Amino acid sequence: MKLLERWKPRFWNDPLESIRETESGPEGATAAGLNDLQARLNHWSHLWGQEGEPALPSEAQELVARRLSRWMERCFGQHAQGTLRSEGNRISLASSTPIFTAFLGRRATRELSRRVLQDI
Amino acid sequence: MLRLVRWIWILLALHLTLGMIAYAHFHVTGRYSLLGWYFGGLGTLFFLVMTAAEFCLAIMCRSCFDSDEPMRLAWGMIACAALARLAGTLLRAISDGHLPWGDWHRLLQPSGSLFVSLSQLGLVVGGPISMAFLAVGLGRVLAIQRRFRLIGSLTRGDQALLILVVAFSISQLAINLPLLGKHPSLGTAVLWLSDPLLSLLLIEAILVRRSVLRMGQGLVAKCWGMFVLAILITTAGDAGIWADNHNFLSASMTALSWYIWFFAAAAFASAPAYQLAAISLTREAHEH
Repeated sequence: MKLLERWKPRFWNDPLESIRETESGPEGATAAGLNDLQARLNHWSHLWGQEGEPALPSEAQELVARRLSRWMERCFGQHAQGTLRSEGNRISLASSTPIFTAFLGRRATRELSRRVLQDI
Repeated sequence: MLRLVRWIWILLALHLTLGMIAYAHFHVTGRYSLLGWYFGGLGTLFFLVMTAAEFCLAIMCRSCFDSDEPMRLAWGMIACAALARLAGTLLRAISDGHLPWGDWHRLLQPSGSLFVSLSQLGLVVGGPISMAFLAVGLGRVLAIQRRFRLIGSLTRGDQALLILVVAFSISQLAINLPLLGKHPSLGTAVLWLSDPLLSLLLIEAILVRRSVLRMGQGLVAKCWGMFVLAILITTAGDAGIWADNHNFLSASMTALSWYIWFFAAAAFASAPAYQLAAISLTREAHEH
């Protein structure tokens, strides 16, 4: 976009104008591809955190929590999980990654997450 | 890596077995010859092996963290503390001529007046300088533990111990500070910092212990637990030296109190081995 075009009132009224002008929209992608991507992202965020999760956790979530608990016990100790998690919340990748990263390092935590999510 | 921890303690057990034979000989004959050979030769070698192992393992731990991770600095400081202890042991061994490979000490005597002897330089490097590095490293660890609210509140026993430690440090400083007027060597003045630094380490150890108690018996908890154990043993060893200097201990008890330093060396070496065991677990273990 040229600098002078920024003085047009239309540009300031519509903040998405610049994006529309330069970026091609999602029309290029197939609907099936987008749906697949959305499904994968939803599945991953479902396993990662607890935001917006259903009242009853899925089998996969239970498995992740169980594996994380075992890792937490091996690395920190049997009481660590209770000390760290907020009341009523089940352990998740989102809540446990910071402490694993702090004490084991980023590379080891990446490996650990890979193992936790193995076959899920 | 857990095998390494086992080896450290097996080596200590073997070393202590030989030490007990030397002690029995001293107890029966009343002569220091075998005991002197044990502490001067085997003891020095044990310290060198343990501190070298601790240094190498701490460097390996450091390399497991990226440059922007806070634990990298902590392990860097712990590695520096181990290196200082190794250099201190080496300097003292060379100075006293205990090492089996020649007597270089005659060539290496410092000519200035900063240090009374090479042995004192070894004491300074292996004592206060090493403690300062360890204090910075543990301080960093405590900051991380605090961020995760792992440090529990102090019990009355902890508070009483803290008050005792601070009072002891202040009393030692009160004794030593007036002596500054007599222009002691730099080495002597730095050695006066040993007690306050050990007190600082003890305070950190009490706080780390609280977090370890809250966590349980995991590998990371054991790593920091080993540091706590090593610092507590060092304090006990220091108390033994103080008691000996004030003639509170008999000759046999003094000789027995020297063995405590081997436990401290083994505990210091075990700490990074536990940390590495925790890290390598992520590569070895399989999920079921």
